[in-house]
Amino acid sequence: MMNTVKGFLPQRREAAKEMASGWSPAGVASLRLCVSLLFFVTLFSCVANAQTPQATPPPPAQPRSVTFPKPVEQTLSNGLRVIVIERHESPIVSAQLLIKNGGEVDPPELAGLADMTANLLTKGTQTRDATKIAQEVESLGASLDSGARWDSSFATVSGMSSKIPQAMEILADVVRRPTFKSEEVERLRQQYLDNVTLALGDPGTIARMVAARVVFGDSPYGHPISGTTESLTRITAADISKMHSRYYRPDNAILVIGGDISAKDGMALATKYFGDWQKPTTPLPELSAAMENGGNKAGRVVVIDKPDAGQAAVYLARTGINRKDPDYFRGVVSNSVLSGYSGRLNQEIRIKRGLSYGAGSTLDARRDVGPFVALAQTKNESGAQVADLLLGEISRLSSAPPADVELLPRKAVVVGNFSRNLETANGLVGQVGSLALYGLGLDEINRYINNVQAVSTADIQKFAGTRLDAKTSNIIIVGNAKAFLPELQKKYPNVEVIPIGELDLNSASLRKKQTG
Amino acid sequence: MVRTSIRLALSVLLLASLQLTGFAQTRMPQIKFTDRTLANGLRVLAAPDHSSPTVAIQVWYHVGSKDDPPNRSGFAHLFEHIMFKSTKNMKSEMMDRLTEDVGGFNNAFTNDDVTVYFEVVPSNYLETLIWAEADRLSGLNVDDGNFKSERDVVKEEYRQSVLAPPYGRFEYLLQQKSFLEHPYKRPTIGSIEDLDAASLKDVQDFHSTFYRPDNATLVVVGDFDSKQLDAWVDKYFAPIEKPSRPLPRVQVKEPPRKSETRLTEYGSNDLPAVGLTYLTPRQADADSDALRVADVILSGGESSRLYHSLVYTQQLAAEVNSSAELREDASLFVLTAVLSEGKKVEDVEKAMLVEIKKLQDEQVSAAELDKAKNQIITNQLRQRETSNGKALALGEAAVLLGDVARVNTDLERLQAVTAADIQRVMKKYFNDTNRLVLDYLPEASKKSGEGER
Repeated sequence: MMNTVKGFLPQRREAAKEMASGWSPAGVASLRLCVSLLFFVTLFSCVANAQTPQATPPPPAQPRSVTFPKPVEQTLSNGLRVIVIERHESPIVSAQLLIKNGGEVDPPELAGLADMTANLLTKGTQTRDATKIAQEVESLGASLDSGARWDSSFATVSGMSSKIPQAMEILADVVRRPTFKSEEVERLRQQYLDNVTLALGDPGTIARMVAARVVFGDSPYGHPISGTTESLTRITAADISKMHSRYYRPDNAILVIGGDISAKDGMALATKYFGDWQKPTTPLPELSAAMENGGNKAGRVVVIDKPDAGQAAVYLARTGINRKDPDYFRGVVSNSVLSGYSGRLNQEIRIKRGLSYGAGSTLDARRDVGPFVALAQTKNESGAQVADLLLGEISRLSSAPPADVELLPRKAVVVGNFSRNLETANGLVGQVGSLALYGLGLDEINRYINNVQAVSTADIQKFAGTRLDAKTSNIIIVGNAKAFLPELQKKYPNVEVIPIGELDLNSASLRKKQTG
Repeated sequence: MVRTSIRLALSVLLLASLQLTGFAQTRMPQIKFTDRTLANGLRVLAAPDHSSPTVAIQVWYHVGSKDDPPNRSGFAHLFEHIMFKSTKNMKSEMMDRLTEDVGGFNNAFTNDDVTVYFEVVPSNYLETLIWAEADRLSGLNVDDGNFKSERDVVKEEYRQSVLAPPYGRFEYLLQQKSFLEHPYKRPTIGSIEDLDAASLKDVQDFHSTFYRPDNATLVVVGDFDSKQLDAWVDKYFAPIEKPSRPLPRVQVKEPPRKSETRLTEYGSNDLPAVGLTYLTPRQADADSDALRVADVILSGGESSRLYHSLVYTQQLAAEVNSSAELREDASLFVLTAVLSEGKKVEDVEKAMLVEIKKLQDEQVSAAELDKAKNQIITNQLRQRETSNGKALALGEAAVLLGDVARVNTDLERLQAVTAADIQRVMKKYFNDTNRLVLDYLPEASKKSGEGER
């Protein structure tokens, strides 16, 4: 409907690849500092050809500073943690109820259970059916969205601030009193099955799912979060109800409200609609602290052969870090040296060689160790070359770490992304919610910039050498194998080739069992 | 069916300037802007907003893929990429040094009618960016190596948006086949053959033909002092000369459709898709407002008519969408669906036509109309949360709607749309003879006949 403009809108860089790593919260004053310092580096490099007053860029003026709002928080007597962050520039409010578990608690044979459970919240409560929920929410002009991610499940409403009281009442209803009627379970199951079919048509999506299996094997982050054909077929309404009663409880939840609302009003709404949510007497489910990634079966080279693929998706994948790792900021900055438009990967693969529309990487820090992935899509013929380039850049991060002239701009990118993300109600809620989810102090928002600035060349060299070692990484290519396999095999005789028809995402072997 | 990865969520523009019935409590902020035109024809729109120490700078060039030179489909967009290469005073990618490296960002997009360049930077860099935008409007200085390498990037963009996603080619074909005469029949991304044929000379010609101050609108929104901005604009942009030759404009008129067109194409998709398009008037036409509201009623959210009927109730489709694709010269109203497993394209098409007929036969209720308007208002507010979003709204009103005041009055126009208006436009444009139907079937079904009608 509305937010489409005329089919394709080809643009210079790919929006989806502005890959900020995992989390990113809020920027403040010192941003401008590093920034002006840096500018002069650029300036010197072009002073040489100055002829007219217009031949060189005018230097920056004095930077202006800003402070971000402080989150206000309170824990209700039922254990629900409520956080409000005010931002009054636009009359928009976003409210997110987070459950502290998501896809990682799916039983191995029931991949997709957490996601289906969260999705079904909005498909019927004791007093509203799915149609009524959609009608009421959309009549307010609001949107209501729910789903599961790794480490959390969520339900979010956002809309005009004047409509938020009604929207919050609906949010509480769907979180607390969903009915999981069997006809809704069946309907959603069919939608999820269709989505699996759609996902298996896209080389990039296949590569992402295969990479998770390669890195995490049969451990919790290894399965497709929205399930497989086989697991989706097994999930029952009883499994879903059990998942809900086990994890959806006030003492396992966080409510984050952000935008054009006062802390007092936010707290009052939270108390009104969630204050009488009963905490069960049973103990909280054990948080999967000892989840133990089965992972990093290092050195696998996997090709999924999809002869009709219009492009090859090339992934380099390995384990990264968890969110509480003391090296977190070293990781974030290291990743920024590699990723983003002017990051090393895009420099080498797109800007210098024209081999891709965009290359980048993500360091996804989770409760347990998450993945590090470097990726690009390229024409099938250059699949092996791009894999080499990805690997080369990861190695070069420790062999030739960035000096300040390269490092300062990449830090500016991290700080800029972080600050801009706080300009919208959804961005605010997402960032603060993530801090709360991982048990980090909400004041980290105000330390973020200093933490980024403190990262040195030596830190990156050490981080890259010990935590992102290219030799213990895996390569995954999804595409028309005929076009790149011979070249790849020269370098990697151990390459596993799996025809798309034999791909099995249910296990780390990735290959369907031969049936006799 | 929204494949947003390469789309910019540049939503249609409307914003409330007045107190709307039922929204008394919500402030509907107006965008207060200044509007001036330099002697060389450059238009400057500026809206100060000091809520964060950043500023958004945009330059809208009134040239799009409909202006691609003959046998050079995709050229306007390729040219957009080249605008980031060297100029007299800037090395290649220097725009990134001035934006990304200081904590900002830049990007650009091309559509059928316009090419838009934008940057968001810490506000103390505003003068620098005014200088840089003026510099690349003054001229390019690109070498063959840079040109060819960037052309390869665009070919990868073509592969990534058209060839790799299972329905990329479907969307491409839908536009290509929907226009008979107008250059809108050439999708913006172009074709590999035409991209390969493009040369460095084409670049210089295109720049001198279309990149001139009287074909540009500079939009600045954010943290700045208006007087200072005026001075910088005068210093850097005013010396750029306006060429004396006239600007070429597309004169081709798309003829009315006289009979239904039915097409079948095959692709790498596993689930069949079906698309319907209707030819509708140019964006500035008064009927556009009612068509936009109709679009939201058809596919805005899970309570919309198409979703509720095709996805939820009948379970015929995995995805369904509609879109009032407004264009400067002629528009399309597009409906698409990806089928659910085991369903037939004929049943899906029939179900879409049933929803269209309902809107023709019976007026929508006051509640449904209100719902659609609320959705539109909220989307507007979301778009305008950032300076960049506000600047997009200003540029679109000025350049595409031809009336910058509409940035603040469009919501009144939408508010004035009645149930009778919607019924009228549904009857006027959604006729059998004004319809194109494209079935997009899996290649594998060619042999077996599976999925066929």
